[in-house]
Amino acid sequence: EIRPNFPEFDDLYCKYCFVYGQDWAPTSGLEEGISQITSKSADVQHNLVWNFPIDITFKSTNPFGWPQIVISVYGPDVFGNDVVRGYGAVHVPFTPGRHKRTIPMFVPESTSKLQKLTSWFMGRRPEYTDPKLIAQGEGREVTRVRSQGFVTLLLNVVTKDMKKLGYDTSTLDMQTSSVIDMSEGILK
Amino acid sequence: MAEVHVIGQIVGATGFSEDSLFCKWGIHTGGAWKLLSGVREGQTQVDTPQLGSMAYWSHPIDLHFATKGLQGWPRLHLQVWSQDSFGRCQLSGYGFSHVPSSPGIHSLHCVTWRPLGGWREQLARAFVGGGPQLLHSDVVYTGADRYRLHTAAGGTVHLELAVILRNFSRYGVEC
Repeated sequence: EIRPNFPEFDDLYCKYCFVYGQDWAPTSGLEEGISQITSKSADVQHNLVWNFPIDITFKSTNPFGWPQIVISVYGPDVFGNDVVRGYGAVHVPFTPGRHKRTIPMFVPESTSKLQKLTSWFMGRRPEYTDPKLIAQGEGREVTRVRSQGFVTLLLNVVTKDMKKLGYDTSTLDMQTSSVIDMSEGILK
Repeated sequence: MAEVHVIGQIVGATGFSEDSLFCKWGIHTGGAWKLLSGVREGQTQVDTPQLGSMAYWSHPIDLHFATKGLQGWPRLHLQVWSQDSFGRCQLSGYGFSHVPSSPGIHSLHCVTWRPLGGWREQLARAFVGGGPQLLHSDVVYTGADRYRLHTAAGGTVHLELAVILRNFSRYGVEC
């Protein structure tokens, strides 16, 4: 089963975007998108489902800067303001095939209790100014976060010409040739 | 020259008795290796988990090495620290793992340990915090001089790393 897993929250929507290095460029498809707002299902399982399609193709000269997909989840708080419920990022899978990835979602946290209280009242929680920061390693040393949910992604990946350029992405007994050039996925 | 790409994430950690953990990581290589792109070391954010007991960092690692030999294959070394509400940091564990040598996606579970010290240090750690730390952290990834240490087990750090190799078959290396 595939679903966003945020036990404490409801009415969520998500934004996704791709972050990649200088040697990469998208050739077709949308780099960013926003999903619909989903509410928990009425049955016992309380599923949250977006079923959001992703379809993008990249070209590159170098595996460095391999694309990451950054997901930001938002929802209303008690007062009706839109607040961030989680950020998460994961690299696009490296080998061709169908991959399921469950990524943890975290929110930045203020260090002082007074600030936590005022931001709860005002509806202005700590947020990242640029979600692409989540895909970077530098500058994270000073941030405090709280992990509070998960999002599951289902991605089908197809690669082209990796072997021709001399790159091995899987062990010899698993190497197969794949020649379609479209990658697509479903965000649930 | 053969090239190695190490791309992935430090996913998180389980099994530590403290909350609010962060991890300092670094990659150590031998003399034949050269780092072409990426940062060789870093520090994750501090995470306090709300659901369950696993601390999640999702810290990206993206490194591009060129090498002339197999000796000194990259080793990833980690230090897990906990931070309390006053902002004080305490060591929770040291660990290391060799970067996998076969191409593909790997799930690594790196176990950690921390130096124990005598009964006085252990008592002080229980009440006040702090505790012994290594003076030279290269003991974490080398075997020399470890026989003097008395340690206790820490938790486990989970990583997902993909290794992409280039031109290794040209030099006759089977991975």
